Formats: sequence, structure tokens, C-alpha cells
Amino acid sequence: MLIQTQQLEKIVETSEGPLQILQPIDLAINAGETVAIVGASGSGKSTLLSLLAGLDIATHGDVLIENEKLSDLDEEQRAKLRADKVGFIFQSFLLVPSLSALENVMLPAELAGHKGAEKEARELLEKVGLSDRWHHYPNQLSGGEQQRVAIARAFVGQPKILFADEPTGNLDSKTGDKVEQLLFDLNKDYGTTLVMVTHDTTLAKRCQRILNMEAGQLAEASQDVA
Amino acid sequence: MWHKISFRLLKQELKRGELTIMALAIILSVTAVLSLSLFSERLQSGLLERSSEFLAADRVLSSRRDIPQEWLDKADEEGIQSAWRVIFNSMAFANDKLELVDIKAVSDGYPLRGELKVADKPFVEGQVTNTLPPAGEAWVASSLFQALSLEMGDAIEVGNSRFKVTKVVTYEPDVGFSVFTDSPNVIIRYSQLAETGLIQPGSRVRYNVLFAGTPTQLDNYENWLLPQLNDDTHSWRSIEDGDSPLARALNRAERFMMLASLLGVVLAATAVAVAAQRYCQRNYDVVAIFKTLGAGKQQIRKIFVLHLLLLTGISVGVGILLGWLIQSYVINWVAEQLGASLPSASWRPYALAIATGLISAVMFTLYPLFRLISIPPLRVLHRQMVGVQAIRWLQWILSGGTIYGLLVLYSQQWWLSTALFVGGAFAAGILLLIGRLLIGAGRKAGMQAGSAWRLAMAGLQRRASANSVQMLSFSTAIMLLLLVIVMRNDLLADWQRQLPADAPNYFALNIAEEKVDDLRAMFAREDIEATDQYPLIPGRVTHHNGTELIDEVTKENREEVEQGDREEGFGRELSLTWRDTVPPNNEVVSGEWWGDNAEPQVSVEKQAAERLEIKVGDTLTFNIGGEVFTVPVTSLREADWGSLQPNFYMIFNTSTLADFPATYITSFHLDSERKDELYQLFRPFPEASLIDLDAIIEQIREVISQVSIAILFVLVLVMIAGALVLIAQVQASMEERQKELVILRTLGASGKLLSRSISYEFLMLGAISGLIATIAMDLSLLILQTQVFNMDATWHWRLWLVGPISGAVVVALLGRLACSRLIRRNTAQLIRKLI
Repeated sequence: MLIQTQQLEKIVETSEGPLQILQPIDLAINAGETVAIVGASGSGKSTLLSLLAGLDIATHGDVLIENEKLSDLDEEQRAKLRADKVGFIFQSFLLVPSLSALENVMLPAELAGHKGAEKEARELLEKVGLSDRWHHYPNQLSGGEQQRVAIARAFVGQPKILFADEPTGNLDSKTGDKVEQLLFDLNKDYGTTLVMVTHDTTLAKRCQRILNMEAGQLAEASQDVA
Repeated sequence: MWHKISFRLLKQELKRGELTIMALAIILSVTAVLSLSLFSERLQSGLLERSSEFLAADRVLSSRRDIPQEWLDKADEEGIQSAWRVIFNSMAFANDKLELVDIKAVSDGYPLRGELKVADKPFVEGQVTNTLPPAGEAWVASSLFQALSLEMGDAIEVGNSRFKVTKVVTYEPDVGFSVFTDSPNVIIRYSQLAETGLIQPGSRVRYNVLFAGTPTQLDNYENWLLPQLNDDTHSWRSIEDGDSPLARALNRAERFMMLASLLGVVLAATAVAVAAQRYCQRNYDVVAIFKTLGAGKQQIRKIFVLHLLLLTGISVGVGILLGWLIQSYVINWVAEQLGASLPSASWRPYALAIATGLISAVMFTLYPLFRLISIPPLRVLHRQMVGVQAIRWLQWILSGGTIYGLLVLYSQQWWLSTALFVGGAFAAGILLLIGRLLIGAGRKAGMQAGSAWRLAMAGLQRRASANSVQMLSFSTAIMLLLLVIVMRNDLLADWQRQLPADAPNYFALNIAEEKVDDLRAMFAREDIEATDQYPLIPGRVTHHNGTELIDEVTKENREEVEQGDREEGFGRELSLTWRDTVPPNNEVVSGEWWGDNAEPQVSVEKQAAERLEIKVGDTLTFNIGGEVFTVPVTSLREADWGSLQPNFYMIFNTSTLADFPATYITSFHLDSERKDELYQLFRPFPEASLIDLDAIIEQIREVISQVSIAILFVLVLVMIAGALVLIAQVQASMEERQKELVILRTLGASGKLLSRSISYEFLMLGAISGLIATIAMDLSLLILQTQVFNMDATWHWRLWLVGPISGAVVVALLGRLACSRLIRRNTAQLIRKLI
């Protein structure tokens, strides 16, 4: 079991009292699985993703990654865990604007202290079809190109888990399709476990499992429901 | 690895111009501090050197007794030049006439600073000479030619010696300002002093040794010498001591430079603070991304601290280079203007500039950096998330402490720094409050205006919190600028007032009572501007409230002084006068002027009164030519010793002194081209002594013009610092404006509407800041003029209009300029830039 949650809950304080964003969730994701979390806006998908990735802390319950409890780790240790095991792709790409495409891709490997970051980054950029654009800055690239850089960055260091938050949400359908294809191809090549939050049912259907989030409650959905 | 990322970020961001404002702010703070302190240090030592001419030396040791030769030998060892100058009164005889003269016996090297000018006939322009009278010869003042009916080559007898008069001394650098009470000068060689037989035990002789050397040499020597001096017999002077117009001009200039530089430093530091805040805000997303990708806090701290240190290091380096270039260029220009070279500066300005850059960059970035590092990784999903806010007071303490620290570091004066800081902090609080209130009021007025106005007012209101901080820095910048400009004008005007073009340049004394009317008629006929003619009666003050005054405190009578049996007096005969009205440039500060009251009474000059602890109501006993009488003190006066007019310690009402025989004194202005007429004009008054002040006045003017140039330079630098604060502040608000522009643009707002609304918003901001700045400036000026510069306070009503208008125009222009690029861009470009 790669990722596991036990009675995972998230409650936030608001001016009108506590608000339960996630109802207790028990979830298990195996290594190599591809999982889509679908649901309406505000249903709690992104919150679940942030808890799974250790970006946020649960109010109750636990997240275990390779049987390691995230609640037992401090911020530094969670960062280390992300550096070693996790890759990210975001809807708004989140590239560092002052670094070139190549430098953006190298970044996670360098932060993790890996040697040979540049070589690996160049290979990945080639795989995403941007070998000729490696020295360009994010604002010199189109949306699709930026997301391809982000995908290359997500796979650098060969993480075990890849979290994707609406990876094609900011792209037109044609570009979105290409990026989607690339994402799944690479995922297959690297054998990564993919956890993806999306509105897009077509995209969701490409995953092995689809989980439906509704008002903070998570339920397994069949491919048809999605 | 982290250092690689740090280097890379810095390299790319520098290349892309993202660090320009931060770098510029640091560069400017370093440049400003360096060039200001280099310039003021070099100019000041230049000024001091020139002003030292008034002492004929850098330092003077005076003594009532002979000065040990070993003290001169020690100076010689230190590489310091020294020369003797011994002054005493004696009678000089020639052509069966007798005159009290000041003998000045000088040794080789005199004057060590400044020049001696001599001529071949009296009352003409002299030529510079590098020699001294040979043995057996004397050089004498023009007035002695008159008094003793001398011709060139005549002999005068002084004591046991006879001296042949071979030159007229037209200018002595060290003649001083209390000239009208002195007698004509006779210069002889120090080596011939003994032969005159005039120096006997108990003679009233002033032994002076003049010293000239570098500041370090003099400091070393001072450290060695001062502990050996005896306060009773020795005095050690430099040009900055004393109450001459020059010393005061210099002191004021020094204070002004210090103050203006301090304001410049505060402005530059403010620019760094604003830029540092923005520098960190810009990196919030980057830190969130780094953390998401697995960077730990430690790693991020290292990356950004190194990044900041590198940026600071580079900027400080550029600043030092730039500051050095600017000041060397300006120094050359100034030196050309003045036709003089300025001495080189010490290491202190460099250390100060580097410290200022490092301290302001590090201290102002500390809090924003702390927040930056605490940015949660979750920001990648929730963009509104920011770091820890809890310790906001830390930011105030850090920023306040840094500014205060810089003030102290720069001025090395606790009281001035504390006063400026406390006043500034208080003003800042009030400014923030007023700013918010005014913005609120503007919103109401704006509702009825056209749509660009409405948009502008809404913008002002929406950003009220950010805007009131922005307004604070706009106001501070405008205020400091106005302050420096006004101070400069007032200072110069004050000097001009003291030394107008028609300032008296001659004193005529020793005029017989029956000739006063003739003299007055002559002045009127010849169209010569003269001051009042004052009767002059020599007399001594013998008792204060019945206690005997002694002229000289010796070891023998010190005990009596300490026991209160006797008090220390003036130590010499005074020039007494009488008058019905308060003299011009005098002001009664205590008691009342007599008016028509014929009761015997006296008015005492304030400084003299303070020294002898005389109060209104006390009695003073005078001895005039053997006649002793006691009068009450009915008023104390403040006299302007800087004005070139006769001034007196003691003035009596007419009935008290009118019956005593008196000679008269006056001062007048004669254009320099009419110098030749002087001898002719004063032929009918052969007994009158004339003292020429032209050369001294000219020298003061020169010094003042040097100071004016220095002040202009300081002003320009402060202006640049102010402009940078404005730019940094406008830049800081750009990001938010950008978002708004995108929305408005997307909704179809025309470029014209947007640019107008931005201009109006900045116009309002600038006008309000300008108004607040003017009020604050006038209030601070009131305090500064009265407390720091000892000047009369004046209000500057004209600026109440100029301040807001210029504030509005400048801020609007800067804002428009900064936003114009944004408006020109099309929406798609803007959206992409935001993403």
C-alpha cells in the first residue's frame, strides 16, 4: 500500500463556527495505480489532495505514505518526503518565472541534492518535446508549453507518486489533449502512482479508479458514473 | 546545491531587471552617504584650512607667560610647523608724537596660514609677501602713518630700540574682529624682542605659538600637550571656537550639512525598506513552489539569505564606485569654481557608506524575509495564503531601530539623532492618521465627479491602508526635500543679511568730539553710508554689587575669589558709551531701556553679563579717569557681534556719561574703487584712526560661497534620494494595479479612462502628501531654526501652495510613467504577465 488514509478529516474555523470540509475518509491507493478524484467546485477535492501530499495538516485522522504517518513528521520531514517521493502538476503550472525551462525542471532534483540534475532534466524536456526551448523563460512559452515543462519537472527524480491538480484546466481542448496524452505516457513509462483532481470526466476515465467527492464525502465511483 | 539555485536566481533576476529597484535603492543609499560624507569631509577640511587663515594657523596656543621651548620642539618632532607671535601694548614715538600701539613680534614662518599683504604707501591695496621685516625694520599699519605723521623710511622708537619703517601692512590674516578697540599694529622680528627691553616681569604680554599640520599630527600633538596646559594661563584655540561671524557661518554650515545628510540617509533607507518589502512579496509564490517541491525551511533560508547578501554586496560595490566617481567629479568642479584644491578624505566615509548599505539592506529585509520563509506550501493551491503575521511589532522595532542606528552612526550625536527620531516617529503617526482621514473625505467628493475621477477615488479608498503607508513615504520625501530647500535659502539669506554688499568695511575711531559734525557732513557730502557715531570713553568696572573685581586671577588671589571676597573682572579697560536709544542690531532681553529716565544707569551686554553673573537690579561701580561712581543695571542687551558695527558691553544713558571727555567711533562703507580717496577724505581728521576690514569681509564671502556650493550639492543628492523613494513606492503598488488593470481592460475600459484614473489617483495622493508635508515641514523648521541654527523662525506661506501642487505634479508624473507601460500593453500580454 503506497498511500493510505485513516478517518481523515478536515475542519476549518470560520466566523460562523467550524466548517467540516472533509468527512472522515478511509482510502487506500496501491503503487502504480492511477486515481482520479472528481467532484463539483468546493466539494473538497483540492483539500484532500493537499492533505495527501502533506502540504496541509489534517484535523483528525492520518495519511500514511509507504506506512509512514504524515502526522508524525514535522514540516521539514514532510518537505523531505515530498522531495524524495512526490511530484506535482498544477492547473496554473506554477513555474518559477525567473528560471528558464531547464532550470525549472532541474529544481526538484537540485533541492533533493541529486547529482546529474541537468542531464536528467534535458532528457525529460526532450521527452516532452521541448528540447529546443530549454533556455526560454515561462513567460516566453505558451500555456501548453508551460504545462509540458511542469510535467517534465514532475517526473524529474522519478517520484513514486504524482499529484496533479486540474492539469489541463487552463488549456484549450486541443492542447489539453496533447498534454493529457503526454502525462499518461510518461506515467506509464515511469510506473508512477498518479493521483489527479479534475472536473474533466474524459480525463478521469483514463484513470484506473475514479473517486467521487461530494460535500466532503468520498465514494468509489464506477467508470460509468464518472 | 542551494547556493547554485541562489546564484542562478540572482543572475536571472538581475538580467531580467526584477531586482532593479532593490539594487537601485541600496546603490543610492551607499552613493548618497559616501558622496555626501566624502564631499562634506573634504569640503569641510578645505573650508577649515581656508578659515584657519583667520588664526594664521590651524591651532594657536596662547599664554600669559613665556612658553617652554620643548613644547615647540615636540611639535617639530611631530612634523608640525610652528611660529612665535608675541603681542603687547607699548608706546611708539616718532616726529615728536606718541601713540599707543600693538607690537606684534613674529618669527619665521608667520603667518602659517593665510598671507600677509604689504604696500609702499598707506591706504592702498597691498601685495602678498612671503618675507618678514629684516632686523632693524618695522612694518606698520596705515593708521599709524596718520597718527604719527610718518613718511616711509622714518624711524619709530619702541622701548630701547629704533626701527626703520619700510612697509605698510595692509592685511594681516589674524587681525580679528574686535579691531575697533585695538591700537595700530607694528610688526617686528621675534628675535629683536629682547632688545626692546619691553618684556619685564609683570608686563602684560600675550605669548602665542602658531601651529599648522595635518589633522592627525595636530590630534596627536593635542593629546600630548593639552594635559600639560594650565587653564589659568594657557588657552588652546582652533577656528571653530569663538563667536566670530565666520565661526558661526561654519558651525551653521556644518550643522546644515549634517542635517541634510541625515535626511538623505533616512530617505535612502526608506527607499531600501520599501524595495525590500516588495522584494520579499515578489518571492512568496517562488517559496511556496520550492516548499511544495520539497525544499526545507533551512534550505530556503540559505537560498534567500545568500541571494540577498549577493545582491547587497554587488549593489554596495556599485554604490561605492558611483559615489566615488560623483564626488570626485563634483570636487573637481568645486575646486575649479573656487580656484583651490581640496584635501583628500579619510577612510571613514567609505566605512560609513558600506555600513549604511549593509545595515539597511539586511535590517529592512529581516522581517519581510522572515515572513517569506514562513510562507506555507499550501499557497500553491490557495494563493491568498501568506506567512506569519503575528510579530508585526518586530518589523516596527527593526525598522525604527535601524533608522535610529543609522542616524547615530552618521551624526555621532545622541541628542540630535534622538530628537530627529522621536519627532519623526511622532510625525509619522500623525501623518498616517491624517492621510486616512483625507482619503476618506476624497471618496465622498469623488462620487459626484466624472468616471475617471470616480475610478481614481475608488482606487484610493480601496487601497486606503496601502495608500496611507505610501502617502507616509511620499510625505516624508516631499517634507524632507522642502525642509532642505527652505533651510538652504534661509541660511543663505541669513548670511547675506549679515554681510550685505554695503556692509561697513572701515572703522574710524579716535574722532574728536568737535569734529563729529564735520565727519557726519563729510559722509553726507560724499554719499558714504555710515553707522551712528558712538562716543567712546575708556573706563574700568571695579565693583559688582560692592564686591571688588580683579583683573587677573593669579595664584595669590585665587583664594580670595574662591571665598567670594573678590570676583574676576574683565581684565582690561572697557570702551564705554552713552545713548538715548537702543542701538541697531541690539535687543533688550531683560529689564527695560531707560527712554527719558535721566537717573544714572547702565545697560549690559548679555554675554558679558552671563560671564560676570550680572543681573538686572545689580549695581556696578566704574572708574573713569579717577572718577568713581556706582550705577544700577537696568537692562541686559543681546548684541549682534557678527554685524560689522561698533558694539559695546556697557551702554549708559546720556545724562550719566555726557560730561566725560570722549572720542568717537563709527563704521562706514566705501566702495573699493574709491579706496584711493580715503587719505584725502580723512585729511581734515588727522587724529582719526582707520581700520580696513575689506580683506576680511572678502574672505568671509568666499567661505560662504564655498559653503553655498556644498549645500547645493547636498540638495541635489537629497532630491535624488527623494525621487527614488517615490519611484520605489509607486513600483511597489504596481502588481496590484496590474491585476485591476487587467480586469478593467477586459471589461472594456478605454486606455484613456485608465490612464486618467491612474493620473488622478496619483494626483490626489501627491496633493495630499504635499499638503501634509508642508505642514510638517513648517513645524519642524520652526523647531530646527530656533533650536539648532539659532535663527529667527519664519513661516513659509508660499510653500503652502507650492508643496501640494508640486507634490501632486511630481507624484502624478511618476505614477503615470510607471503605469504607462502597463496601459500600452494589450490585455492578453497583461494576463500572461500575471500568470
